[in-house]
Amino acid sequence: MADERKERFFLDSLRRALGPPPQASRPMEDLFPRKPSAEDQRLLGAVSGRSEREREELLRRLRAAAAPLHLQIEAVVDLAAARATVLRLVAEKSPEWGGEKQLVAWSHKLIESLDLAEPLARQGIPLWMTAPIDPGLAPEAAAEERARQRARIAASFIGITTADFCLAETATVVLRSRPGEPRSVALLPSIHIALVRRGQILADLKELFALLRWDERYRGAGVSNCLSLISGPSKTADIEATMVHGAHGPREMFLLILPD
Amino acid sequence: MTVKKSVTLFVPCLVDAFRPEAAEAVVTVFERLGIAVEYPPGQTCCGQPAFNAGYREEARRAARHFLRLFADCETIVAPSGSCVAMVRHHVPTLFEHEPRWRELARRTAARTFEFTEYLVDVLGAEDLGASFAARVTYHDSCHLLRGLRVQEQPRRLLRRVKGLEFVEMKNADCCCGFGGAFSVKYPDISSALVADKVAWIQQSGAEAVVGGDLGCLLNIEGALRRKELPLRVLHIAQVLAGGCPPAGGPGP
Amino acid sequence: MSAVRTERYVEESRRGIADPVLRRALSGLQERFGRGTAEAYRRLPEGPGLRQTAHAIREKAIANLDLLLERLAARIRANGGEVFFAATGEEAVSYCAGIARRRGVKLAVKGKSMVTEEIGLNSVLAAQGVEVVETDLGEYIIQLAGESPSHIIAPAIHKTRNEVADLFARKLGIPYTTDPPRLTQAARRALREKFLAADMGISGVNLACAETGHISTVSNEGNIRMATTLPPVHVAFMGLERIVARLDEYEIILRLLCRGASVQDIGTYVSLIGGPRRPGESDGPEEFHLVVVDNGRSRLLADPRFREMLCCIRCAACLNVCPVYGRIGGHAYGFAYSGPVGAVVTPLLTGVQRGRDLCRGETLCGACKDACSMDIDLPRMLLELRAILAAGDATWGVKPEGGLERNVWRIWAGLVSHPGLYERLLRAGAVLQGLLPRGVAGWIRRLPPPLSGWTQSRDFPPLAKAPFRSRWARRRREVGRG
Repeated sequence: MADERKERFFLDSLRRALGPPPQASRPMEDLFPRKPSAEDQRLLGAVSGRSEREREELLRRLRAAAAPLHLQIEAVVDLAAARATVLRLVAEKSPEWGGEKQLVAWSHKLIESLDLAEPLARQGIPLWMTAPIDPGLAPEAAAEERARQRARIAASFIGITTADFCLAETATVVLRSRPGEPRSVALLPSIHIALVRRGQILADLKELFALLRWDERYRGAGVSNCLSLISGPSKTADIEATMVHGAHGPREMFLLILPD
Repeated sequence: MTVKKSVTLFVPCLVDAFRPEAAEAVVTVFERLGIAVEYPPGQTCCGQPAFNAGYREEARRAARHFLRLFADCETIVAPSGSCVAMVRHHVPTLFEHEPRWRELARRTAARTFEFTEYLVDVLGAEDLGASFAARVTYHDSCHLLRGLRVQEQPRRLLRRVKGLEFVEMKNADCCCGFGGAFSVKYPDISSALVADKVAWIQQSGAEAVVGGDLGCLLNIEGALRRKELPLRVLHIAQVLAGGCPPAGGPGP
Repeated sequence: MSAVRTERYVEESRRGIADPVLRRALSGLQERFGRGTAEAYRRLPEGPGLRQTAHAIREKAIANLDLLLERLAARIRANGGEVFFAATGEEAVSYCAGIARRRGVKLAVKGKSMVTEEIGLNSVLAAQGVEVVETDLGEYIIQLAGESPSHIIAPAIHKTRNEVADLFARKLGIPYTTDPPRLTQAARRALREKFLAADMGISGVNLACAETGHISTVSNEGNIRMATTLPPVHVAFMGLERIVARLDEYEIILRLLCRGASVQDIGTYVSLIGGPRRPGESDGPEEFHLVVVDNGRSRLLADPRFREMLCCIRCAACLNVCPVYGRIGGHAYGFAYSGPVGAVVTPLLTGVQRGRDLCRGETLCGACKDACSMDIDLPRMLLELRAILAAGDATWGVKPEGGLERNVWRIWAGLVSHPGLYERLLRAGAVLQGLLPRGVAGWIRRLPPPLSGWTQSRDFPPLAKAPFRSRWARRRREVGRG
């Protein structure tokens, strides 16, 4: 109750400070339009009508933007090549925090179709697949399951995710949070590998936001409760302006691009 | 028969009192271009010092005097970026609530030009036939650069001066630390700024530093004189008048 | 409210100027970022004019703040989050402290947030036994050192690698090293434990969007993403002005923010957060709280002279070009905000009278306006503040300036509107200056107070024997004769 009073007081003093014009004359349609603007429609059209040549060009721009960010792009020809790339990284890299090699991956069709489990099992390397928390679980059991998943994610040196989109202009992967696709898989492991299909590459943030605002396939969830835009590995320049990768998040990041 | 052009000269207080040679040089340059110069007597100040210090009523009094004096002039030219920025941008806002003065201020603002701006943008004159044998660097005064967006004009003029070797200093566009009353009230900060400016001027290897605003130039020269450094500090008009035939001599 | 030390501007600036390490660090920062940002604006596909577009977007948002905040709050609540509107810093802090008590929070991890510096959140939480860990590497360094940030984006710019090496050897017990990668690794290891153990994550908000109902945070290190993903509670603090209406507008501001802050096309991690985790998600906070802070901002909103300041998104681009900031450093400004933004916003939030040196101790060079990602006219507002200080202003609790200064300007105004008097004084001055000690070429070595500041490091020019006005008269006479 007290909080509600405070809120009214807060907004009232805000309105007093704003002064005229009266509420009625304010441009609601401009503030929160209900229809896409001409510019929005142009963006939506650009995405849906993209030719093969334009897609090639986007891939080229993506590579150009990724290089200075230390985001490593591998365009692979098929699932087998993607699998080989992941296995090569598993073999080459060593765990940052010591201990055995372990991997964690989202439970996602694309990742499952890589068939990583079997070759990794042969090397004795565990691959943890994340899973949604069963809403039927009692709170204590759900908490335990969350703690178990987090421990596995934190213990893994490589985390594998997909992405909703990828933005060429800024070399950005776009992740919308969903059950079964924990955010920390792209955060706690030292190496983040993201898999996308070529058709998921958009030009830039403008196109992404036009889709999120107006495309019926994405509109419902909007930005969801958490949308992450990740453009390369974690970095800092806080000590004498010297660039260091791996401040808190992953210190290496790979983007594997599969054909559609 | 061509209509003889004329300009009205506004000589800002610092130029009048400390560097009258700069205003004389302006006259020389214009006369050489065949432009008649008027100088209405009774000029004092545009009001900028008071305005910058927050004393708006006092600034208005100065501005009213200025506006009265220049009310009927067609083209006003001043050898100062900050005074012209004051007349162009701030004086009209001082009279927001006095419509008649505001109108006069706006009209005057539209007719007032900084010296190098007028030469290059209005007259299209770049080669003034001047000569000046020295290595010269140019300091961008803040209000000339960011207030009036005059950056290329003085450089173009300098590059056409015979015998003059133009060198850019590092951070030519960085404030010298003058800032009017600031230089007296915050001497530590102001001194730190001008010390860097002097170092950059020295690093440029220039023998003379040139600028378009006397406040900055006096600040820079004051620091040079204290250090007993031999560099010359000149208003750009003094360079552009260099080697000109005396006023009244043969025109172009 | 955190401690305000604005009245110490002059002495603190002296200290900054005398520190050669600070000077080197700041000049490096300004050379990289100052020039880089200008170049980044030029390279924008829309051209540098996008800053004016952004300004208009921000102005529209500010003019409709009530509608935007209501929409944001409604969306977040519908998403399962909580929104608290805090009229004062104290209310904001005590709301967060209440959550900490209810949840039994022992350890909180914090992403860099200017508004929590402003309202002094850390000390209040610490007083009730919560360990609050700053996780931005720069903030972590200065927290370990017991200092305060000196730059909005690069808070530890004033620390050398040797100082960090000493600090980490002492506080983290690591072997002494001055190698930035190894120092970073040591902080990474120490903070990872904190992230995994924390009961609460605290962040600021770079910008919210009303249409979609999200807040957003931007970082390169990933610390904010850690702090908003791992702990069971996320409390986000935002100044009431940090909002735009629509996602397409958000996009423009975001791009300019990243360019202004660090010459990047985009920060490494941008998170758009609209609420707590959903059922079935295994991570993300179970509680999400947004605290919208007024703390004096509605006073800026109510004053047309200063409303424009609410367009600011604290990108710190103005710090990276300000010649004064570049010499004195951030601590001189005596509050959370430093540089040109601090010189305007700090007096308005903490007292114009006591912050008078911040408003006056600037050169009005205008570099900040050109660098501002939102094209805010900071010099205009510095001038307005000076006008308030001179003439007094009841709204801001400022009495008119009295005494010597006012009289000097009155006399000046009389002189400049009476040319006869003015000319006589000029002549008198030219004679009287003969009494002053001279240096090279007749320049004056020492001026008496109150002008003595000039001659602290500079000579003062002598008045010309004949001012232009008399030379002109002579010239005319000669021409007339000839």
